[in-house]
Order: sequence, then C-alpha cells, then structure tokens
Amino acid sequence: MDKQVVSFNLNGEAVRVRCDPFSSLLSLLRDRLGLLGTKAGCGRGECGACTVLLDGLAVNACLVPAGKAEGLNVETIENLSRGGSLHPIQEAFVEKGAVQCGFCTPGMVMSAHALLKSDPAPGREEIRKAISGNLCRCSGYVQIEEAIAAAADKLKD
Amino acid sequence: MIRRNIKAGEGKEGFPGARGFYDPEVWAKVTGRARYGIDLALPGMLQGKILRSPHPHALIRNVDLSRARSLPGVRAVLSGTGLGAKPYGIVFDDENPLALDRVRYIGDEVAAVAAVDEQTALEALQMISVEYEPLSAVFDPEEALLKGAVTLHDDFPGNIAWENRINRGEAEAAFKDADLVVEDTYALPSFHPGYIEPISCIAESEKFDGLTLHTALQSPHIVREILAGVLGLSISRVRVISPVMGGGFGGRVYGNLKLYLLAAFLSRAAGAPVKMQLTREEEFTVGRPMVAAMIKMKMALKEDGTFLARQADIITDNGAYSAQAPWVSKTLSERNDSLYHIPSISTRVRLVYTNKVPTGQYRAYGNQLANFACESLIDRAAGKLGMDPLRLRLKNCIGPGDTSVHGLQIKSCALSRCLQDAADAIGWTERKKGRGYGISAAIHAGGSIVFNPDFRGASARARLELDGRVTIVTGEQDYGQGAHGAFALIAARALSRVPGEINIVSRDTILTPFSIGALGMRQTTIGGRAVQLAAEDLLARIRDCAAELAGEEVVPEGGAFRTSSGRLIEPVGIAAFYCAKTSGLALTGEGRYVPEKSDYDQSGYGNIAVTYSFAAHACEVEIDRETGALTVHRFVAVHDSGRIVNLLTARGQVYGGVAQGLGMACSEGYIFEEGRVANPTFSGYRIPTALDLPSIETLFIQTDDPEGPYGAKGLGEIVQVPTPAAVANAVANALGEPVNELPLTAEKISRLLHGWECAD
Ligand code: FES
Ligand code: FES
Repeated sequence: MDKQVVSFNLNGEAVRVRCDPFSSLLSLLRDRLGLLGTKAGCGRGECGACTVLLDGLAVNACLVPAGKAEGLNVETIENLSRGGSLHPIQEAFVEKGAVQCGFCTPGMVMSAHALLKSDPAPGREEIRKAISGNLCRCSGYVQIEEAIAAAADKLKD
Repeated sequence: MIRRNIKAGEGKEGFPGARGFYDPEVWAKVTGRARYGIDLALPGMLQGKILRSPHPHALIRNVDLSRARSLPGVRAVLSGTGLGAKPYGIVFDDENPLALDRVRYIGDEVAAVAAVDEQTALEALQMISVEYEPLSAVFDPEEALLKGAVTLHDDFPGNIAWENRINRGEAEAAFKDADLVVEDTYALPSFHPGYIEPISCIAESEKFDGLTLHTALQSPHIVREILAGVLGLSISRVRVISPVMGGGFGGRVYGNLKLYLLAAFLSRAAGAPVKMQLTREEEFTVGRPMVAAMIKMKMALKEDGTFLARQADIITDNGAYSAQAPWVSKTLSERNDSLYHIPSISTRVRLVYTNKVPTGQYRAYGNQLANFACESLIDRAAGKLGMDPLRLRLKNCIGPGDTSVHGLQIKSCALSRCLQDAADAIGWTERKKGRGYGISAAIHAGGSIVFNPDFRGASARARLELDGRVTIVTGEQDYGQGAHGAFALIAARALSRVPGEINIVSRDTILTPFSIGALGMRQTTIGGRAVQLAAEDLLARIRDCAAELAGEEVVPEGGAFRTSSGRLIEPVGIAAFYCAKTSGLALTGEGRYVPEKSDYDQSGYGNIAVTYSFAAHACEVEIDRETGALTVHRFVAVHDSGRIVNLLTARGQVYGGVAQGLGMACSEGYIFEEGRVANPTFSGYRIPTALDLPSIETLFIQTDDPEGPYGAKGLGEIVQVPTPAAVANAVANALGEPVNELPLTAEKISRLLHGWECAD
C-alpha cells in the first residue's frame, strides 16, 4: 500500500507519521507509535478494547483508518495519568473494584471519559449505553457502572 | 458454624486491610501500563501463522512447502511429517502438533510458517499447496455412536473417547418403589470462556535443549511438562513466563497447547523468537470451548418429596480431539449428585468424537451444564407433587458433617441458608403475577485434591526483604480473579502487616514452587493456605532472629517486635542483621499445605476436595408473549464461600460469574453448520453487554471453614454454576411449560409459547 504522511495531535503533541493511510489507527498506535495501553480483542469493532477518543468521541481504533486521524485530536489511555497521578475515572475504577483482568479497562475508561465529557451527570442507563460497545468478560459490568457514576461525582467537585 | 450474613456494601470488607486494596497490579492495569501477551515483543522476533484444514474430515495426500519456503522473508515452514513429534494430549494422546495424514475438523493445523512480518507469513500460507481427499464426516454425537458411522480415531472404535458408569445404592429398586418418577432430556451447546484477550505466545527455542515460552497460563508448571515431553526437552530447560493474563476462566489452564508447540518448533527451525497469536475468529473456531451435552435424566421421589434416586444417560460432544473433556465429562456427570441427599445413583456418560472444534474447559468443569438438567428436573418434580420448589430443595439439602452419595465429605456448609436467603431476597413468598421466578442451588469442589491424588496441596515461600517488605513466592496464578490480592491479604494477616507491604511473585516457572495452578477452585483454599503457612513460618523465624539481634526475649507487635526491656525492633533492622550475618541471605519461611490423602477409589467414590463451596441463585423474569423476548428483571446470588477475604473482589467474582451464566442461559452458544462454526465472532456468539444484564444482588453467608486459610473457601468457579438453571426455572415458571434447551433465545421461547416446532 502507498505510504502517506499523516499528521495529527496525539495526547496533546503534534505527530507526523508515514504510514499506509488505510491501515488501522489501532496498529498505528500500537505497532508504530508504541502506545500499548490501547488493547486489541477482536480487530473488527466488536469488543471495544481498542477504544480511543477522536476529537472527543469514543471510537474503535481497529475500525478507523489511520488516514482519518489527519488534523484531528487523538487521545489514548496514556494521556489520562500523565504526571503520574490517576485521573478521577481511573481512581474510581480502582476504588470500586472495576478492574479484574484489566484487559477491557483502558477501553472502558476511555468510553467513560468520552461520556463524562459530553454528559457530566449521566444516569445508570446512559452509563450502560456508553459502555455497551465495550465487552468485559470478568466483571458483569456492575462495578464498572458504579465506578463511572462515582467518577462523575468526583469530577463535579 | 455460621458467623454472619454480609450484604454487599454493608461495612464489613473482608480480611484486615481489605478496604481499598485488591490487586497489586491494579495501578498498572488502569493506566494501560500492564503488559499482556499481545503487547510483548522480543528483538529479532518473527511472526508465526498456521495453515488450517478447510475440510471437516479428509486424508492429506500431499503437502508442498517449496514455494512458501522460497518467498523472501520466510524463515521457517513446517508440515506434520517433517516434525517427527509424538502424539500428545492431556488425558490421552490423540493430537499431533501438525496433522500427519488426516485432518479431523475445519481448522485442524496442517502447516506453519514463521516470517519477518505477519503479511509475509500470511502470503507464505497461500503458497502452500495441500492435496486433500475428503472423507465423510460426522457432526452429531448420537450419529457418531451409530454402527457404521465413520471413525475419527482408529484407537477409539465407535468414536467413544471416554465413558464411565457409576452405580451407587439401588437405583433400579428405588425407581420401582417411587411414588413419582419425572424425566426429561436436556440439551446444551458448547460455550466458550470468551476472555477478551486472545491467546498469544512468544517462543524462544535454544539450539539444543531449551525453551522459554512467554504466555499467560493458569497452570504454567503443568504446561511446561507437556511441552518438554512433546519437544523432547529436559523439563528444567523449559521456562514459562506469564505476562498479565487477560482473563482465563478455565480456558487458560492449558491455553492453546498447539499454538505454543508450533511456536517452539518454528523458533527452533528459524533460530529466532517466534510470536503467534490467535485471531478472535480462531479463538472461536480452534480455541477450546467446553463440551456440548445431551443429558437424559430421570428422578425418583417419595410423595413427601424425599429424593430416592437419579438416573442419567449423558452424551458429551468432544469434537475432534479431547484435551480435558474426559475430566469435564466426569465432573458434569457426578457433581450435582452431592448437592442433596440422593441415596441411589445410576449414571452413564459417553464422550464422543465428532468432526468439530476440539473442546477444553470453561470455569466450573461442566458442573454448570448438569446443574441445568438436575435443577430443572427438581422443579418439574415439585410441580408434579404440588410442592413449593424451594421447600422440596430444603427438604433434601446436604449439610455440614454429611458424606454425599459419591463420598464427598462436607465440612462447612450453609446450603439451606443460601436457598432460604436467595428466596427471601427475590421475594419468593410475594411473587408477582405475570412474572416468572426460579431458584437453583450448587455445590463445587473448593480446592480439588484429585487432579493428582499424590500431589494434593500447594507450597509457598515467604521472604523478608531488606526494605522490610515481605515477598510471597507462589506457583499459583492470577487471571484477574484476584488471587494475588487474596494472597497479600492472607500473608498480611499472618504477619500483622498491611497488604500493601506484601510483594507477590508468581508467573515464572523458574522462580516459583511447582503448582497445579488455577483450577478446581484451588487458589484461595489450597494456595492461600500455603501462603498462610509460609507467612507464619517466616514470622517465627523473624522472631527468633529479632531475639538474637536484641539479645533478649521479644514479642510481636504490629509487624515489629518489642523486647522485654521495651525496645522496638523493626523488620528492616532484622533483615539487615540477617543479611550481614549470612553474607547475603534473606530470612525465608516455607509453607507446605498437604491435605489429607483421599479415600477416592476406582469407582470414583471418595472425597475429592479439601472442602466444598455452596450457592443458591434466584431470579425474576418476564416474557413478552408476542415476541418470546426474555427479560431478567432481578437476580440474587447467595454464596457460602466461607470467610470472605475481600468483599469487593468477591462481589466482582459473583457479578462476573452470574453474567457468564446469564450469557449461557439467554444468548450464548456455538452454532454449527456442517461442522463449520457459524458464529465465530463476538457479535455472533453474543456474550452479554452492559445493556443485557439485570440488577444483581450479592449475599455472602460466612461459614468458618476448618481447612481454608482463616476459614475462607473458593469462590471463582461456583459463581456461574446455578445461574443458567435459575433462569430456566424462572422461564418455565412464567411459561407454565418445562424448558429443556439453552440458550433461551426469543425464537426458542416463541416455539414453546406457540408450538412452532412442527414448522421447522
Ligand atoms: S479490537 Fe477494536 S473493537 Fe475489538
Ligand atoms: S476486567 Fe477482564 S475483561 Fe474486563
């Protein structure tokens, strides 16, 4: 495939990479840029483990062609705990026991992040809808939902 | 024996220090820094890919690798004949790393390639030409048992991979004398553990004798032995290092042995590390789901509801190769018999080869499959007797001090309390019109001791570090279920420390004591007990050393020691003193937990675990009579897993197990078309999403178990066992019709409602 330069803003920094614009944003992030926090569970938009924010919206990075990031803001899990302290969403995940194997966690946290940006006080149904594209096989989602509700409270103060 | 009943969220958090603590790795996981198998890479690493059979059954006439070998970037290409490997297996040796002269299911491994990148490896696969001669295939286990059916393995005539008969008491007479006999046939498809991280590995073979395998396993020590055997290596030259595990649920006890073996062979041939990873589709089509089961069952009762006998004829679908399926079939055929007093049992179970995905294991070893049949049939009997299903169960419950019909020795047991509390919490006595209610109970081995009757227990080491912290070294495994956190809490309790001061080292066969691993609910009960003993042993040694350092008597005080003259001696000082005195050694403690030898005999009679955990689940459902759509409104799960180590993670285990059980009950399951998996995707297989689950209430009845560490018992597997039956019973209650097939999709329920079976 022909390579092309794609420029975008990644976690607050400008990046320019030569890549096949039709390869996935997920492989660009993981394989080229070494950001391994974003996970891959299916490669076809069904598990949400690869969720990142594209201009603030949660997307499955495995379905987004790398070229689509051109000129946009891409935010990954690595951006949330910059400076070493946990983001309130991450804190809430820890406190509520929402992390078991942790493989779905980065994607879940990013879906929660997108939700709370657009709706700072979501109800239980909104939370469920927001994470309905993120599969978790360990938790039954209950403590994840509790964590997102708790994170909303934390972010309010 | 029952201490108290703890409601989730009700203050009591578990062992000291449990509040706000559960997993030493949680910080890495939540920030995206935890490294899983898919994240690993080694310098010079190649990518491996597998060529698979497109036929369900065929002879291999010829495999031509030459074109693939000449593709630039290809470093190794292998076929079965070139490997010279002996057949291997878990229970019996019915598999080869690559097919030799015959393939037995769609997906069977035929050739393997290692290349500089994935694209090149995939291209090389296209350049391998294989000549097949298709054979007739058999997909239905009942057909596979018929005379004249095509045979899959010459060593297993009649396609029976394994069979067993169990007779206890006088079943025949009991059926003759019974006031009531109920019977039905129950069918369950194959279910996949569905861990979200697909299995992957990196193999680094050494030139002569040696292999390092990087992959996350629930039983790395046992896998190491199998790999050494097939690869012809010395066991001590094989090292398995596990990264963080993205879910296991039994599916990573052995993981995907074939993938590991092929990676090792490719690495040996190429002289470089080889990474291999299953795609999600491969997870479903060649990963190892649990057996499908067909259970014909009959029960004899007295008019007053006393259980007299149970008879079962069970067929389990092995697929093309057998892995752990014989053990799964055995547990499936027996475990539920020990939940109640049932004096007579007559069971036949046959595990049958078919040309489909080979099977493995998922969470409760088939206990959950048979639970659906047993607990459904009990409800049927209750209906016939005009008796409340709860009362019928309570009348027959097994209890503390009992020995079950198969010889299981019940120690702590709050089964009847679980049932009663589940019923109370769901509102059993004020059931609403228009809703269906169901209840189901379960028993599960809390720390299996018959995996290897000579090796029943576990050991652990505890070491005082120079910084005063304590490191626990264990061969047990954390797949996300919280074993490491539990071990830290147990060790902290023994040492009067806070759990944050405990390091856990596991996941490397070179560093850790041999262990059977995360299966049979061994981790907390058996592994945890070894950790407790190691910590206690270390404490005694620290105390002696403190006394030597102080030159006077000492008594422990909050993790440190107080001398008779009133000085406080901290662990840091003791560690430094010992290190200097021994020129570099650290104080260590050893814990060996060796459970009593079992009286387990040839007929399978005898105790199989150090203790047993119990549960009852209840739910309220509603059915849309137009569409057949099922809504589970409320779900209650009550568990006796002894003393709860950490309430937060215990709740998480229950929620997750119930969610998996609800998946089995409502939506999941393999669909086959002529041996091909028709739904090899998450969306086709349908594991529950956040929108699919009801509110789940968890309750723990805390018994004090005499065997487990500080009274704790296992929880990780039983959480899923009673769920499918509780839902099925609620659906049957709502419909007024028995239910005998899972999953209960809207189509199936419609058929029950409108009698559509003749239409298709
Ligand atoms: S990896 Fe992108 S949705 Fe599963
Ligand atoms: S925590 Fe394991 S998949 Fe969600």
